[in-house]
Amino acid sequence: MNYFPDEVIEHVFDFVTSHKDRNSISLVCKSWFKIERYSRQNVFIGNCYSISPERLLRRFPCFKSLTLKGKPHFADFNLVPHGWGGFVQPWIEALARSRVGLEELRLKRMVVTDEGLELLSRSFVNFKSLVLVSCEGFSTDGLASIASNCRHLRDLDLQENEIDDHRGQWLSCFPETCTSVVTLNFACLEGETNLVALERLVARSPNLRSLKLNRAVPLDALARLMACAPQIVDLGVGSYEDEQDSESCLKLQAAIRKCTSLRSLSGFLEAAPHCLSAFHPVCHNLTSLNLSYAAEIHGSHLIKLIEHCKKLQRLWILDSIGDKGLEVVASTCKELQELRVFPTDLHGGGNTAVTEDGLVAISAGCPKLHSILYFCQQMTNAALITVARNCPNFIRFRLCILEPHKPDHVTSQPLDEGFGAIVQACKNLKRLSVSGLLTDQVFLYIGMFATQLEMLSIAFAGDTDKGMLYVLNGCKKMRKLEIRDSPFGDAALLADVNKYETMRSLWMSSCEVTLGGCKRLARKAPWLNVEIINENDNNRMEENGYEGRQKVDKLYLYRTVVGTRVDAPPFVWIL
Amino acid sequence: MEICNSYSSSSVDSTKHSASESSVNLSLSLTFPSTSPQRATKQDWPPIKPRLRDTLKVRRRLLQRDYDTCLFVKVYMEGVPIGRKLDLSTFSGYESLLENLSHMFNTSIICGNHRDRKHHVLTYQDTDGDWMMVGDIPWEMFLETVRRLKITKPERC
Repeated sequence: MNYFPDEVIEHVFDFVTSHKDRNSISLVCKSWFKIERYSRQNVFIGNCYSISPERLLRRFPCFKSLTLKGKPHFADFNLVPHGWGGFVQPWIEALARSRVGLEELRLKRMVVTDEGLELLSRSFVNFKSLVLVSCEGFSTDGLASIASNCRHLRDLDLQENEIDDHRGQWLSCFPETCTSVVTLNFACLEGETNLVALERLVARSPNLRSLKLNRAVPLDALARLMACAPQIVDLGVGSYEDEQDSESCLKLQAAIRKCTSLRSLSGFLEAAPHCLSAFHPVCHNLTSLNLSYAAEIHGSHLIKLIEHCKKLQRLWILDSIGDKGLEVVASTCKELQELRVFPTDLHGGGNTAVTEDGLVAISAGCPKLHSILYFCQQMTNAALITVARNCPNFIRFRLCILEPHKPDHVTSQPLDEGFGAIVQACKNLKRLSVSGLLTDQVFLYIGMFATQLEMLSIAFAGDTDKGMLYVLNGCKKMRKLEIRDSPFGDAALLADVNKYETMRSLWMSSCEVTLGGCKRLARKAPWLNVEIINENDNNRMEENGYEGRQKVDKLYLYRTVVGTRVDAPPFVWIL
Repeated sequence: MEICNSYSSSSVDSTKHSASESSVNLSLSLTFPSTSPQRATKQDWPPIKPRLRDTLKVRRRLLQRDYDTCLFVKVYMEGVPIGRKLDLSTFSGYESLLENLSHMFNTSIICGNHRDRKHHVLTYQDTDGDWMMVGDIPWEMFLETVRRLKITKPERC
């Protein structure tokens, strides 16, 4: 390869797109490192505090797409207090100052402001794509800036963000000349929508492929929108009330029948029970169905819909579908790859909507299944062993038994053997979440067998430090470890400090680690940021002399090349 | 920081976990992740995203309302233009419903099982809009699906 001119090598590198592969080729030699840096188009930063924007720009001066992630995963479940961090502003400012031709920005769990969005919209002439997932801190005014100023906007994808809806006219800020929109997702907006502006935008966007509406878009508007955009591939339905005049229903049914390219359906945020039947004509083409917010729809209607969806690859649903419903999925959806079953009853009121039987049925019926997230009230080792035998191809296996510490409900034994069977059978397992009654034994199995495991979530599990040690010593590819309410302490934390350099981050909350232990860790590993998050009493931790016994409520540590961050709030103490 | 010890089983021999022991601990832990009042309101379990949590809270409120408050349905006797309104939540089952209706309309009314020429038969309209014989499904399921009642003349069924 050394005999080829740089341009040829660069052209070859164009075919290497994954971040991991590009990182690998940049390590081969100095020449490749240099060529790779100037040609890297997409940069992925899994932890915004691991590096600074300035260093990013020095290494990759020519990128077009940036993905940034901020808060740790457990922030999704209210475990990270408001104001912790993850601010995108310094990044946008640094990028704006540089000459980088940013076209795409993808943010996850970050704090975004209207000022930042305004700056973003004005600084990059070719900006095309904004994807915000689980972000917060901005309002529809920021969206108005994006709509107004980004001449070539292609994607505006807002997934599960907390957006302050000023009920303004952001949709009418798209100029009449804007005809390039491909993705428009505003399902998470709570306020009213300018339906006229929306219809006009959709009508003048021939490339529109993905449209996800919020609850303020009623049924008759939906019919008109679908009639304007029969080329739609991905649709998120907003409000879908039952009592409609027959003319509206007929118009909707006619519009739906024309959408022959429709492959993905979601939404039904305010959905009356009978509404799903209008979509039956397009079900045979659907590959993705997300009904996880359709809390009003009875299981029987869900089942009737799914019976038509023979090509389904991805299904997100509520447990109101029941074991019987999952049996229907198992016999109908032979192409199913990913299943998520969310709980409807959060208070353990004895409602056994889905049990281990549903999980076993799915594993037996769906040979292509590789990802599962399953919330249930009860589980058995026998069921998990059967699932492992049926489905050795799991890449992601996340089981959440709603009651912490709940044992096998038939044998009253811990679920160690069940999860052990899963990790032993699934040689490609990259992500695992465990739950129920678990001893150190399950972690012995995980350390021994889960060789490809990259992310592990532990809650209310284990007996002693040995459990955590089995995992840290065994799982060579571990990147993200998050633990809550488990009895792991300083001995496990400090056993192998260098391990954390091979990982992105470690989260431990309500465990047995002490302030003294964390301080020792921070001293031994200056290349880590060791953060103690303590919302209740800001300064009490410092004063007390008994550090060795003072338990830390929340610990978050991560490798970084730029040292302590400067934007930490008072309740975060970086050691 | 004793809070975190309320759930961790660091010193407990796991083989001693009996079903009843676990369930006592769990009913506490399920609703209050820790004994600290600040933590109790945090709602960090089960691990679902805020949007879904809010959707389910609304749903639960609606369901509670349905269970707690009344369930008034219209009742018509065939041949009688003016109907009555009845609160089904006050009845414990089909027997008490029939007894009450028979009294209200001053005639004998029965469920579909024992039809003959003398007695009126009770029918209901369900959420699908279909007219069905009362008495086939469990009472609780009936309450969820009933929209209105009709007392039909004996020979009609």
